[in-house]
Amino acid sequence: MYRLALRMLLGDRAKYVMLVGGLTFASLLMTQQCAVFFGLLSWTTSHMRNMRASIWVVDPKVEQINEVKPMRDTDVNRVRTVTGVAYAVPLYTGIIQARIADGSFKPIEMVGLDATTLVGRPPRILSGRLEDLRLPNTVMIDELAVQRLSLNKNRPLRIGDTFEINDREARVIGICRTDRHFFGYPYVFTTYDEAMQFAPRTRKMLSIVLAEPAPGWSAAQTARQIEKETQLKAYTEAEFERSTIKWFFLNTGIPASFGTTILLGFIVGMAISGQTFYSFVLENLKHLGALKAMGASNGLLARMLLLQAMTVGMIGYGLGVGLTVLFGIAVLKKGQPPFLMPYQLPLFTLVVILLICAFAALLGIRKIYKLEPAVVFRG
Amino acid sequence: MAEINNNGNGLAVHVRNVSKTFGTGEARIQALKNVDFDARMGEMLMVVGPSGCGKTTLLSVIAGTLQFDGGDIEVFKTRLHELKQRDITEFRKRTVGFIFQQFNLIPTLSLMENVSVPLLINGVRRSAAEKKARELLEQLGLGGREKDLPTLLSGGQQQRVAIARALVHDPKLVICDEPTSALDKDTGAQIMELLREVARHRDRCVIVVTHDNRVFKYADRMTEMEDGRVARVHETYSEYKQDGGI
Ligand SMILES: Nc1ncnc2c1ncn2[C@@H]1O[C@H](COP(=O)(O)OP(=O)(O)OP(=O)(O)O)[C@@H](O)[C@H]1O
Ligand SMILES: [Mg+2]
Repeated sequence: MYRLALRMLLGDRAKYVMLVGGLTFASLLMTQQCAVFFGLLSWTTSHMRNMRASIWVVDPKVEQINEVKPMRDTDVNRVRTVTGVAYAVPLYTGIIQARIADGSFKPIEMVGLDATTLVGRPPRILSGRLEDLRLPNTVMIDELAVQRLSLNKNRPLRIGDTFEINDREARVIGICRTDRHFFGYPYVFTTYDEAMQFAPRTRKMLSIVLAEPAPGWSAAQTARQIEKETQLKAYTEAEFERSTIKWFFLNTGIPASFGTTILLGFIVGMAISGQTFYSFVLENLKHLGALKAMGASNGLLARMLLLQAMTVGMIGYGLGVGLTVLFGIAVLKKGQPPFLMPYQLPLFTLVVILLICAFAALLGIRKIYKLEPAVVFRG
Repeated sequence: MAEINNNGNGLAVHVRNVSKTFGTGEARIQALKNVDFDARMGEMLMVVGPSGCGKTTLLSVIAGTLQFDGGDIEVFKTRLHELKQRDITEFRKRTVGFIFQQFNLIPTLSLMENVSVPLLINGVRRSAAEKKARELLEQLGLGGREKDLPTLLSGGQQQRVAIARALVHDPKLVICDEPTSALDKDTGAQIMELLREVARHRDRCVIVVTHDNRVFKYADRMTEMEDGRVARVHETYSEYKQDGGI
């Protein structure tokens, strides 16, 4: 009977296509929007993957990594003297203008690393040596900077080339790969001291103090100790990530607008498939009644409907997630818009789609239970 | 036919004092009023009478597709009035074959699949069910068309498929509500010949509800209903005519 249930479903081309289409749409919309949302969230913390450290010490008012408030240079030493700190180094980060040979200006994210330790170094160096940053007027740029700062596409910026930052010449000594900046700016790494020269001079220049816990201390313990002794704010990596994401949830409309779209996908999917499946059941009511008269139990008929609903659900889900993956592949090639699909996401969509199908089947099953088999004798 | 002994022991269906009402208050209709009714093994019994007299209702309660208010119904020794809903479903599954006015074949399934449905519901394996269905279609002159969809067939052919479906699981009771009224005269006659063949079976009983006086002559016996009651029983069609029937 289950095979026949599927044959009945597939036999009704129009409804079948509607059902699969609706569920494909729903799972595509939900998965894709979630993935874009997660991608966007991951962009908010890309700084933390491009400059890595266990402990991030910032001004007490700072809640998220993309918006730092400068501190006094002496704060580095204050952090260094805290018990439980193995070492602490200064880091400069700020968006400034680079000027390329044709005279146009391009915004860049300048990162100044402690010259001795080079802590906060980019994760993947593609060419050149990071140690060469210790030479004067040198920078290491990421791939996006190569694109943005090159004069023309046929002659990309390479090691030894120069451009200007704030009227000072910057010589490229290497190229690295970074995660995309939240605002889409290229990263330009240099030393802290060089950054002081490149960046416009202000009273306070220190952006972040990066620290490591001493042996026997966890990052969290050390962070708490730093806060206690310096009145600065100290985050572990995980804490800073969480705080950044929380800040975006509380202070931007981003989660709400994505939430709306995702909910819309859910409702539209539910409405289309619920409605279509219900009318499929209604149209087949005469036949279901005949089956019931012939001795098919309510349970058997319910299982048949459930199988039908779950089948269109799984096919729609497969198509929806498949399309999302295609979208993702295209997007990741281009780098825009954001896209991140952790394995929990398709699982989540699967559960939601199965819920929608169970709901649709349930509408039909209720109808079946109420159906008097004697209706088969009435025209 | 002659060897079948039509005494009380040969009763296939035994209905006593059965009533059924639909609706309540103003809309209350008593469709069956203390009906007594018998059908014998090996016979084709026709139930006739004016529209709205309760023929379909009677057929439905006998077939176990409709619950009734009071009275006793015994079908091949099964006492329906004593059964729970679940057991009545079980009874229908094993004991009753259905033939409907509108054929009620499932349009998206092949003839073979349609015919195998009662066997599948009874838990028979697909290969065995389809083999049986194929044989039966062959016997009914539809050999070679097992894979066709019902919509490709004429009305008479569809009703043959429905008969195959009604018989595939060897039910003792075959129930037909207006089996010929959607068919032309000759096709209707062929279908009735076929049903009479079906009835010629030691422990089977075919009950046909019909308006269609063109097919009355195929009846072994006729039960005439009027206003929710059995008015008369005629032992033959000629007796029915003598009594003023048409
Ligand atoms: N489900 C129902 N709800 C309410 N009234 C019903 C229902 N089924 C039948 N009736 C009523 O019960 C009475 C008997 O109906 P039934 O269908 O048994 O008559 P019938 O003899 O089969 O008529 P016909 O020859 O037109 O098919 C009619 O008055 C009908 O309106
Ligand atoms: Mg009727």
